[in-house]
Amino acid sequence: MNQDDIIEKYIHSLLETGHPPASVYAFVKNLEISEREFFAQFASFAVLESHIWKRVITDTISSVEDSEEWAGFSSQQKLLTFYYALCDQILDRRSFFLARFPRLSKGDKPSQSLCGMRHAFTEFTGKILDSGKENGEVACRGSLTRAYPLGLFGHLLSVIEFNLDDASSGFERTDAYIEKSVRLAFDVIGTRAVDSAFDLFRFLSGRSWGPSGQS
Amino acid sequence: MSAPDQSSIPSGKASRIAALAGAGAKVGVNYLKHYGKRAFSGDGDRSELDEANASAVYSTFSRLKGGPLKLAQMLSIDKNMLPEAFRTQFAQAQYSAPPLSYPLVARTFKREFGKGPLDLFDTFSQSAKHGASIGQVHEATKGDQTFAVKVQYPGVADSLNSDLAVVKPIALQILGLSDMDVEPYFQEVKKRLLEETDYSLELERSISLSKSTAGQVEGIRFPRYYPELSNRRVLTMDWIDGRPLDRFAREESDQAVKNQVGQAIWDFYQFQIHKLKQFHADPHPGNFLVDASNEVVVLDFGCTKELDHEFHRDYFRFLDLEVLNDPQTFEAALRQLGVFSDDDSPRERELILEGAERGARLLGRPFHDGEFDFSDETYMASIFEMGDDQRKNTELKQIKSARGSADSIYLNRAYFGLYSLMGLLKAHIRTG
Repeated sequence: MNQDDIIEKYIHSLLETGHPPASVYAFVKNLEISEREFFAQFASFAVLESHIWKRVITDTISSVEDSEEWAGFSSQQKLLTFYYALCDQILDRRSFFLARFPRLSKGDKPSQSLCGMRHAFTEFTGKILDSGKENGEVACRGSLTRAYPLGLFGHLLSVIEFNLDDASSGFERTDAYIEKSVRLAFDVIGTRAVDSAFDLFRFLSGRSWGPSGQS
Repeated sequence: MSAPDQSSIPSGKASRIAALAGAGAKVGVNYLKHYGKRAFSGDGDRSELDEANASAVYSTFSRLKGGPLKLAQMLSIDKNMLPEAFRTQFAQAQYSAPPLSYPLVARTFKREFGKGPLDLFDTFSQSAKHGASIGQVHEATKGDQTFAVKVQYPGVADSLNSDLAVVKPIALQILGLSDMDVEPYFQEVKKRLLEETDYSLELERSISLSKSTAGQVEGIRFPRYYPELSNRRVLTMDWIDGRPLDRFAREESDQAVKNQVGQAIWDFYQFQIHKLKQFHADPHPGNFLVDASNEVVVLDFGCTKELDHEFHRDYFRFLDLEVLNDPQTFEAALRQLGVFSDDDSPRERELILEGAERGARLLGRPFHDGEFDFSDETYMASIFEMGDDQRKNTELKQIKSARGSADSIYLNRAYFGLYSLMGLLKAHIRTG
C-alpha cells in the first residue's frame, strides 16, 4: 500500500466518522496492513495531514507549470493562474479542508502541519518573484524583499480561508477576491509608491516639521 | 480618449465608499474652482463646471464596474435627466472599464466549457480589446475566422446589491437627484442586470431578432452568433471591424453618408417597433458599429422588449395630428393609456394634460412632416428643456405616483435614445 492509498483511506475514515482514528492501531486494522507498513510511510497522523496540505500545493504547481502558456506569463499572471488552479484542487478535497484545515480566523494555532505547505509555496513564489525582478514587475528593496514570500504565504492562507467561507454560486466571490487582492499585492511590491512614501518619511523624521533644512 | 487609471480597483465595501467619497470631494473642489473663477472674472462657465464634475463622477463609476456602471449608462440614455456633460462622459463607460486578468478569463472558460481558451480557439488575445458593461471582449481566431468573445465579470450578480446600496446615497448627492427620481432606476438596474448576467438568454434573443430582421432593413446587419462557443458566461460572435457610432459621427465628414447611416438605424427601429413588435431597448452609441462599407452592425441584445398590440395601438395614436388637435380625443387617448387616476384633482388633471400635450407635440414632431432634420440643435435643446422643466416643476413632482404602463417607459427611452443617436449624426432622414 503506497502513500496515496493510505491518505485516501485516512480521509475517508475521518470524514465518515467525523474524527481522526483513535490510533494507528485501529486505523491499520481496517486497512489490513501492519503498523510497520504505516510507519514506513508516515511517522504520525499529524505528519500525514501535513503531507496532504503540501501535496495540494505541489500538485497545483505541477498542473500550472505544465501548461503551454505558462512560460509566456508575467509574474502576476503566474500567481493568479496558480490561485485559480488551487481553488480547483481544493474542490476535490473541500470536505477535508473544511474539517481539518487550520484556520487562524477560528482561533487555530499556526500549526506545524503547514510547514511543508509553506516550504513548497515559498520556493515557488521565490521563483516567480525572481523573474518579476528581472522584468521590473517587482521592485528590489534589499532585505525587505526577502520578506515577500512570507507575506505571500499569509495571502495564500487568506485565499484559502476566503474560499472555505465562500457561499456564492460556483465560489465566484473567491475568484473576485483573488483577482483584486493579487492586483493589490503587485501594486505594493511593484510600484515605487511605497519607496517614495518611505523616502519622504525618512526625510521628514528626525527634523523639525517643515523645510527649514537645519539639522 | 484617455481611460481612467486601471491599475487599482477598489475591492472591499469600505474602499468603494472611499472611492465614491473621493468623487464627492472632487465635485466639491470643482464647485469651489467655479465660484472662485466667477468671483475673479465675473463670468463662470456653468457647462465647463458640469464637464469637470462629470469626469470626476465618471472615473469613479467606471472603477466600480458592474451595477454602478450600468446605472451610469442608463442615466446617460435618459439624457433629459442629466446635464449634457454628464451624459457624454457617461457614454464613455461602455469602453473603458478596467480589465480582468487573463488567468481569470481562462478560469471562466475552464469552469464553463471544461476547456481553456486555447483548446477552443487557435489564438486568443490575452488582454481585452474593449469593455462591455458587465464583461469584456477578447479577439480570438480559429482557422481563417475571427471572433469577438465576450466574457463576463465573475460575481457581478452576487455583489450587485451591496454595490448599489453603497453607490446610492452618494450618487444622489453628486447628481443632485431626489430619492424618488432615482429609485425606479435602481430597481430596473437590478432587474436588468440579473437578466443580463445570463448570456445564454442574450444569445437566444440575438439569434431570433437578427433572424427576423435579416434582409428586411437596408444598411443593417448582424454578427453571426456561435451557440457551441457560448454559454451563460461567455458569448461568441463574429469579430466586426468597425467604428462605434459616436466615433463614426465624429470622424465622418460626408453628411450624406451620415444620413444614410442614420436612416438605416431609424428604419431598423421602425421595423422592430411596428412589424416585429419587439425591440432592442438599448440604443446606446456603443451598441452600433459602422463598418467599412457604411453598413450598421447591431450588437448587444441584452435588453429587448416586447410590445402588445393594444398598447402599440394606444401609444402611437399620439403621432396622429388629428388626435393632438382635438382636446377631447386627446384626453380620451390618454385615459386609455392609464395616465389619469380617479382621485386626481382638476388642477392635477390639467397639469398632466398640459405636460402630455407638450411632450406628444415635441416628441412627435419628427413624424409630422414625413422627414426631419436632426441637425436642428434647437429641437434637441427643447427636449432637454422640457425634461428640465418637468424635473423642476414642484407641482408636477407632487403627483409622483407612477402613471401609464411600464411599457411606455421603455418605448420612450428607446425613442429618446434613437433621437439622440440621430442628433449625434445630425441626420436628415425620411420618417414617414
